[in-house]
Amino acid sequence: MRSILFVFSRPPHGSINAQEGLDALLMGSAFTTCSVLFVGDGLMQLVAGQSTDDLGTKNFSLSFGALKDYGVTRIVCSKPDLLARGLNKDDFLIEVESLNAAAMQAFIRNHDKVLNF
Amino acid sequence: MNFAIVVHGAPYSSEACLSALKFAKAVLASGHSINRVFFYHDGVHTANSLIAPPQDEAPVSEQWQEFGTGNNIELIACIASCLRRGILDETEADRYEKSASNLAPGFTISGLGQLIDASINADRVVTFGV
Amino acid sequence: MIVHTINKVSALGLCNNLIAEDDKVVLLEDGVYLGLQPLPFLVFAIRFDVDARGLGGLLAAQTESIDYSDFVRLCAEADKVCSWF
Repeated sequence: MRSILFVFSRPPHGSINAQEGLDALLMGSAFTTCSVLFVGDGLMQLVAGQSTDDLGTKNFSLSFGALKDYGVTRIVCSKPDLLARGLNKDDFLIEVESLNAAAMQAFIRNHDKVLNF
Repeated sequence: MNFAIVVHGAPYSSEACLSALKFAKAVLASGHSINRVFFYHDGVHTANSLIAPPQDEAPVSEQWQEFGTGNNIELIACIASCLRRGILDETEADRYEKSASNLAPGFTISGLGQLIDASINADRVVTFGV
Repeated sequence: MIVHTINKVSALGLCNNLIAEDDKVVLLEDGVYLGLQPLPFLVFAIRFDVDARGLGGLLAAQTESIDYSDFVRLCAEADKVCSWF
């Protein structure tokens, strides 16, 4: 089966793009093998405790808990970018693997296609 | 070789839809084929029939229309992105009781499934982001 | 071999540790400004964007100007394309 790697590099809420990226991942996982790699400010999408009630936008971070149920194979983030932002995986609302650069390069190579958001 | 092209940027707000068009033309000129072109995020603004740029500025939306129609290539604008941004065909304008529709000829409004289908079946996917 | 496209200077920070030795980088749009300095990869810059910005005489020697047909060829030769923005 063809595999698609979704790469998320944007922080949440500053624009709708991060949410629309997640929509694409959820659609993708209905069709074929999909994984997701969070890099750069994309890691911020995973931060726990997001509360958008007062902002009035959708708290789409709540959907990350369902990624495994949707069949997303691996949920991965950049270890260097995690460290650079002073974050650790305990700050995240779901369990995420963190990869170093070499492992991320291999991870990207192991998928048929890449969709960047 | 078959290419899927994804466009995330609106005309003038970014260069994405201009670059993507040049790439799409080069794909065909090189003897390759295009699976479809999928407009997502603000890229759906490319499908706005009401764009009326000054005479001395590249009419990117119109150029995409001519390219799609002239080469029989599917130009798909994602329905969710379109609804958020006010790009509607007649069906959606009726459904949401809006005063007008504005989807440019040559474009079709459809779902994210078209992006995924193109990504799976094309040999290469190239995204023009913002 | 992967072709990485970069369309703005700030996107290099996203991908510079993800570009493998045999990968190729295509700079386009505002990304061509990265071509003014030598980079530790095989770097190509879209000529239309270089010329639009008056950078023809300012590109680093290692940055090769290409047109869109070259860009298509690089994508066809690669295993896949990864776009950074």
